[in-house]
Amino acid sequence: MAGDHVVIIGNGPAANEAAMTLRERAPEFRVTIVGREHVRQYKPHLLPALVAGKITEEDLFVRSIAFYQHAGIKLRLGQEVVDVDFDTRRIILAHKEVLRFDGLIIATGGKPRIPEPLLVFQDVMMTLKTLTDARSWIDKLARVDCVLIVGGDLTSVAFAKTLVSLGKTVKFMVDEHGFWPLHLGDETRQEVARRLASGGMELVPCRKLRGLARLSADEIRVETDCGRYTVGAVGAFFGLVPDVRFLVRSGLYIEKGVIVDENLMTRYDGVYAAGDCAQVYHPTLRDYWVSIGYRNAENLGRIAALNLIGGKVRAETAPESIFHVDGVDIPTSWWAEI
Amino acid sequence: MRETSTYLYQNMNNEREAIRDVVYSTDPADFSYMAVNVPCQAACPAWTNVPAYIRCLYESRFDRSYEINRIVNVLPGVLGRICSRPCEDKCRHGERELGQPVNICHIKRAASDFKERGHVYLEQLFAPLGKSVCVVGAGPAGLAAAHDLAVVGFEVELIEALDTPGGMLSSGIPEFRLPRDVLKAEIDGILRLGVTLRTGVSVGTDVSVDELLTSHKAVLLAAGCYTARQLEVPGEDLPGVLSGLRFVMDVNSGRAPMLGKRVLVLGAGFTAFDCARLALRLGADDVAICIRGTEEDLRVTQDEIHEAKREGVHIRALMVSTRIVGQNRVEGIEFLRTRLEGTRSDGRRKAVPVEGSDFCVPTDTVIVAVGQGPEPIPAPGEKDRRNVLKGDPVTFRTSAPNLYVAGDFMTGPTTVIESIASGRRAAERIAEDLTGRKFREWAVRVQDTSVTDREREWDFIPRHEMPTVLPAIERFQPPQPEVEGGYTPEMAHEEAKRCYLCYLHYEIDIEACIYCRYCIDVAPRDCIKLVKEVVLDESGGVKRLVETTAWEEVNAVVIDNERCIRCGACLRVCPVDCISVSKMELVQRTLEAGRD
Repeated sequence: MAGDHVVIIGNGPAANEAAMTLRERAPEFRVTIVGREHVRQYKPHLLPALVAGKITEEDLFVRSIAFYQHAGIKLRLGQEVVDVDFDTRRIILAHKEVLRFDGLIIATGGKPRIPEPLLVFQDVMMTLKTLTDARSWIDKLARVDCVLIVGGDLTSVAFAKTLVSLGKTVKFMVDEHGFWPLHLGDETRQEVARRLASGGMELVPCRKLRGLARLSADEIRVETDCGRYTVGAVGAFFGLVPDVRFLVRSGLYIEKGVIVDENLMTRYDGVYAAGDCAQVYHPTLRDYWVSIGYRNAENLGRIAALNLIGGKVRAETAPESIFHVDGVDIPTSWWAEI
Repeated sequence: MRETSTYLYQNMNNEREAIRDVVYSTDPADFSYMAVNVPCQAACPAWTNVPAYIRCLYESRFDRSYEINRIVNVLPGVLGRICSRPCEDKCRHGERELGQPVNICHIKRAASDFKERGHVYLEQLFAPLGKSVCVVGAGPAGLAAAHDLAVVGFEVELIEALDTPGGMLSSGIPEFRLPRDVLKAEIDGILRLGVTLRTGVSVGTDVSVDELLTSHKAVLLAAGCYTARQLEVPGEDLPGVLSGLRFVMDVNSGRAPMLGKRVLVLGAGFTAFDCARLALRLGADDVAICIRGTEEDLRVTQDEIHEAKREGVHIRALMVSTRIVGQNRVEGIEFLRTRLEGTRSDGRRKAVPVEGSDFCVPTDTVIVAVGQGPEPIPAPGEKDRRNVLKGDPVTFRTSAPNLYVAGDFMTGPTTVIESIASGRRAAERIAEDLTGRKFREWAVRVQDTSVTDREREWDFIPRHEMPTVLPAIERFQPPQPEVEGGYTPEMAHEEAKRCYLCYLHYEIDIEACIYCRYCIDVAPRDCIKLVKEVVLDESGGVKRLVETTAWEEVNAVVIDNERCIRCGACLRVCPVDCISVSKMELVQRTLEAGRD
């Protein structure tokens, strides 16, 4: 309806594609993007290149601020949504402001996953999901020479290579939580380890991270089931989980992400979820599926927007994919444990 | 309905400060007000006066804070650790845009931790009545009933089938959640009222209910629920499939069974979580709790979920077991995936199986913790289809004279605080039935008070989380410690500051109000309203405010106490002092003989 206000929570590829689709197909709607970060949309997969100094921050950004102004898309950046009231169709922001909406697309994406047993060390570990994270790494790497990478996910391998290219000593520990949600067999694990080692990384042959203690600003003591190490920084790379914690009391169906139907609609009319924060039942996997990746997110954002304005587009559940770990192909289906 | 008495108001330095009028009301409108406006107390099955004990703790009056708890919920040290915390779900501080609920339960524990040894009990004891009552079962309901019956003057014999009192508290909860010295101290507090405890006596085997009815004026059966519910799927009898309740009881009694490395726990309540966490302590590597719904549907606190995950417990959601498989012992469980769909009659969400979604999860041990029921006790009176004695939920009477039932034995499994409330109410009915008089009554105590000394910035104090043993791996080293360490006094004080003190009632005197609207300007949320009509409910309480934006329709400026966060800003800004504050508390007061 003309003048209806569509709010999009999130500022990643799904959110922006949804906004662009709405602007194109339903120009009469008011469209607002609410993003937690203070910057406009950027390409997170280029963050390792930024840390390596191969590109500048400006190279990360997808569109200019002027573009949004011209398109009539309101950007609310640096604002965090803490709750949504679907009865009154209100969004509550952390600074206590209340936003009303007629239509809503939740596209908050994922956030770095830290396994619960390791959460106690969260303050000592660094992640690489946001531009702020990348800036922290750039600052840190100017002062330290040795980095421990714990876990193992798509980003970890690219980032570890970046560190090697910068001349840093990289210790890589595929602990018990590594390459989640996969359970790597011994053979695959050994092959992954061999490939990583050939890339200039030093494999730490341990399964349990028992403790992290900050000895000084740039010195961390690492305690494992097979010894102690001292490193300058610890990077945590355990994959991503949907960033929907703020919605748990809202009434939405939430397992890991927001559970939606094949049209990406939640249980509430006019409320959709798209991208890395949405879960759809996958009949082949017999499990709930979260699509990951930039292009998937854009596609789902577009579908959510089309359906919000009356379409009936199905989000095709992605086929089982291949997870490439530096030359080793590991068949995976994200949430499905094999 | 309202009567006035004087009350010596004492400040925190114990000096007499003023004499103020106190009104006790049994007007239904006042009860209705309390139910809506002090949501924490209304949510507590035992009606614990939460704002009062939090305020006392803020004033460092730990003894008093503990006693305000104890006189209604009997076991504050225990509940401060393992209560299901329905009060926190309703805490106004947890409303949208107001942040997170106050950690009420942790404050309760702090009162228990920091009270003086040998502090003074609050309840007023009645003279001996020369009549005896037998309470069967020394769990939460039985202990609460025994306590209350002893307070009003009965000789009480408390019979327990197990070797130690406490019921599920001692046998069904691991020590890492509830240290036994805490439990023992509070049970001793009940026994010191003259209650005679006999342990290791099984009613129906060692002594019959008929014999007890002969030797006592009344018998209350509060024997709890000790019969584990079956999963009712094929393969449940395979070796390696354990009953959750039995498993916890065996571990607690030092007879822990052997477990495999991979353990799947089926269930969504505290017992399931206790089983999973105990399994890790017994050496299991990979422990998962499998549930039909999602984490939101779990019947445990958020803290419990958080701590279990920290220890390494996985929660696998949206799945329902259909078969346990294995050749000579369990090898796995077959599941169907579920999807959420609407709500059940009890208000909980419905999870329905997805057709064709079957899958199998391999495991070495299965622990089934899907609930339990009462064990039949041979007794006169009408039984249900499982041959368990039936009782009236209001009078607690059975169809047999002088035989009563209470707690989980009557209702099926509930929470500890619900069992305590049930035991207390049963005791009240027994006392009335045996004497024809009321000893105590619930009333709304109203007292003028001064403006809140809370500061607005206290509303933004972050919730203080409970300190726990970290990293979690240290919890598994013997001797396995209590996981929650308790607040320091400073932390408890800071957390207590977060409480809005909803027992404060703000009211505008319309006769004196000059409609300047300053109060509306300073209100932190829409808690002061221009109304044209106040709609009352059947009890005379406020049902609804009909607001208006048309100035000519305004008949009153009204403080909506349901929205009010008791910041006091309105009172401070009012130029004509037309806003008053009173303290309204739901209390149980002692009645003198001959009054009702």
